[in-house]
Amino acid sequence: MKKALFIDFSKCIECRACEVACEREHGKSHIFVFEFEGMIAMAFHCKHCEKAPCIEVCPTNALYRDEEGAVLVAPQKCIGCMMCAIVCPFGIPELDSVNKTMSKCNLCAHRRAEGKEPACVATCPTDALLYGDFSEIIRKRRETFVKKAMKLGKESKKALGFAFI
Amino acid sequence: MHIVKTYVHEVSALKGELIPIVCPYCGVGCRAYVKVRGNQLNLEYATDIENIPNEKGKLCPKGNTILDHLSDPERLKKPLKAVEEGKFKEISWNKAVKEVAERLKEIAKDDPNQLMFLGSARTFNEPNYLLQKLARMLGTNNVDHCARLCHASTITGLVSTFGAGAMTNTYKDIEQANCIIIWGHNYAETHPVGFKYVLKAKERGAKIIVVDPRLTRTAWFADIHLQHYPGTDIALANGLMHVIIKKGLYDKKFVMERTTGFNELVKVVEKYTPQYVEKITGVPAMLIEEAAITFATAGKGVITWAMGLTQSVHGHDNVRAVATLLAICGYIGREGCGASPMRGQNNVQGACDMGVLPDVFPGYQKITDLEKLEFFKKFWKVDYLSDEPGLTVIEASYAISKGKIKGYYVMGENPVISDANSNHVIKALRKLEFMVVQDIFLTETAQFADIILPAAAMLENEGSLTNTERRVQWSFAVKKPPGDAKPDWWIISEIGRTIGLGSFNYLKVEDILREINQCTPQYGGITPERLKEKLAGIHWPCPNENHPGTKILYRERFLTQDEKAHLAAVEHKPPAELPNDEYPFILTTHRYVGQYHTLTMSGKSPSLAKRWSEPLAEIHPEDAAKLGIKNKDLVKLVTRRGEYICKALVTRRVKKGVIAVPWHWGANVLTNDTLDPISKIPDTKACACNIFKIGGEINEESTLH
Repeated sequence: MKKALFIDFSKCIECRACEVACEREHGKSHIFVFEFEGMIAMAFHCKHCEKAPCIEVCPTNALYRDEEGAVLVAPQKCIGCMMCAIVCPFGIPELDSVNKTMSKCNLCAHRRAEGKEPACVATCPTDALLYGDFSEIIRKRRETFVKKAMKLGKESKKALGFAFI
Repeated sequence: MHIVKTYVHEVSALKGELIPIVCPYCGVGCRAYVKVRGNQLNLEYATDIENIPNEKGKLCPKGNTILDHLSDPERLKKPLKAVEEGKFKEISWNKAVKEVAERLKEIAKDDPNQLMFLGSARTFNEPNYLLQKLARMLGTNNVDHCARLCHASTITGLVSTFGAGAMTNTYKDIEQANCIIIWGHNYAETHPVGFKYVLKAKERGAKIIVVDPRLTRTAWFADIHLQHYPGTDIALANGLMHVIIKKGLYDKKFVMERTTGFNELVKVVEKYTPQYVEKITGVPAMLIEEAAITFATAGKGVITWAMGLTQSVHGHDNVRAVATLLAICGYIGREGCGASPMRGQNNVQGACDMGVLPDVFPGYQKITDLEKLEFFKKFWKVDYLSDEPGLTVIEASYAISKGKIKGYYVMGENPVISDANSNHVIKALRKLEFMVVQDIFLTETAQFADIILPAAAMLENEGSLTNTERRVQWSFAVKKPPGDAKPDWWIISEIGRTIGLGSFNYLKVEDILREINQCTPQYGGITPERLKEKLAGIHWPCPNENHPGTKILYRERFLTQDEKAHLAAVEHKPPAELPNDEYPFILTTHRYVGQYHTLTMSGKSPSLAKRWSEPLAEIHPEDAAKLGIKNKDLVKLVTRRGEYICKALVTRRVKKGVIAVPWHWGANVLTNDTLDPISKIPDTKACACNIFKIGGEINEESTLH
């Protein structure tokens, strides 16, 4: 089943636990937290694009997609040409200078094989990072929004003496 | 020849199994697992334990690195004896224990009050219980710990208003509240995992009010941010109460039936009109009014607070004012309500409960109460116990300067970095005749020690810990300590035994908890067997083994003598130091989410050090422009007590006229150690300071003068 890592930046507290957890799993972090204007923060990582330019451009077919939809690098096929880094609009793939291959987020393939969530999601203290069926996550978001709207409606009824909804 | 005893040390689970532990950092008390494979330890998220403080096993950045410091090469592995200051030679445990025991006994023989013991909020309940028992059996009540520097005023303030010095509710109640005031508490950075409960409440539609002089990450999530000047909390609380009372929004039934002192309160807050409070605090009157109405009409409200409120020369009154605000709204003793002081260390609540305080026995039983004194004389089989309250942390360092304290025993604390006005602490420590430091690393404080005793880290040891919600949890040992390092309880027990005090004869840490069960009413039913079985822990008070524990305090009555809440009518007073021409700024301190207190443990993690590498002094853009300070410029902060050099961060996070600096790297050389008269907490959060740019342009600056 296709799954996705979803970022709800309205909950990000810039604690960078995702970075530290990723570093613990992979030796270096493949997720990055940015703060904007001292008012909001957001974690940023490989989007595992549906039409991934990195997969399209890879001359040795080292980049491929697994059954959950994650875009992975097969290091034995990778020649370190950096074409994937050139075409990636988000600047995600990096050169691993020791192994001379490209490295990027693989949504913790080894953890998923054991039935666990990616480390960044498993640790995120505020659930700003979610992993699962994308349409299910989006459906929950709509539900939360509607609940809030209903509550606001009730409050305005109290305040104004009539209901909007 | 004296021979030290061995003890039973179990690495709890079989190899390859998951060992349940409690995170050794903050007071949230997060659960995690450690998986042992050969010599390799792996951290696993505790996703399958129900009802733990960290739902789904979530961890913050520090929680992710709890194994890093265990294998650090700088760990203390052998007992050390000082050759000269800061130079040590290795000695055996036999010699170390014997020397410590003899010296303590010798000093106690002249006058036991020449000894001072410092317990630790970073270790288990059991060694803390033993440390205060050792001090008291030697004849002194000079025993204290770092709660004095963080929540001492919460304890005294809440005891005088409600009767017990602890959080009145649990994290779940924060989630259920309709309005949450977060007062002087950078919740998102200091307790990131606990902050989830605030976000869950907000998602439900709860209103969040943040009271903080800085625009913190917590304030990002605020519906109303009251950005007051440091040290003006009472004025603000009175302003909120003025509006609530004037508009008749207080809980009249609750005030009438369950509180006393309302009439005096009405008189005192009369003059604190929003306009008057705006002048003192700098918070717009309109916002004060809006916040007051929002809070009082919410139906269910919680106030959380931390160092911003407590670390003040009026800390005791600050806490009473905030507790009074809760009480007049009737937000005490039911679900979704309560006072939530957030504890900073994994076991600071426990260390307080164990009586590592100069005026109480375990379970907050007053030493001046003759009945309790007699009970403990019998219980510990000792002829004499002092009924004279002892010295607190900061008082002790002044007593050392005056030569009144000669022997100092420090277990797992680092006062050289953590105490306000730390330059004075260093001067004092040099004067000591005899100092013992029991720690896992050679800390800045240990440099001044005569004997250093290598301790097992928390995760190498087992025992009970009490989190901020009064939840007692058991943490198991994941490995053996390195070299000759030993568990804290064993070290103190050996010293007690060698001094010749009976009843220091423990083989296992469980024996000590069973002794605690018998003398601490709140812990009566919190036995080791129950804790090991129930990983989510038990909330005290739990008087007997069949009691399920108590999540919410004061449902029917308060624990004061007349069983009512004592409302506090307090006037605003300025901080101990106000800005003047020489020191035109107000200095406040804060912390980073990825570093912990004095860096003894978190500083050893490369992942954390990389991300939170240095202190940055925050300054408002307009102030910075006047002084020609740009981002990352080196600046010198100067106060009446010391100087501190670090880089600047030009940001609107702070108000004009305020400088904020994280204290992990030693900024406490600047802070003020004037004490609150009742709780004896130093005024760490507000003092007068000046800031100078240093480097290339310093000459221009100095020619101006």
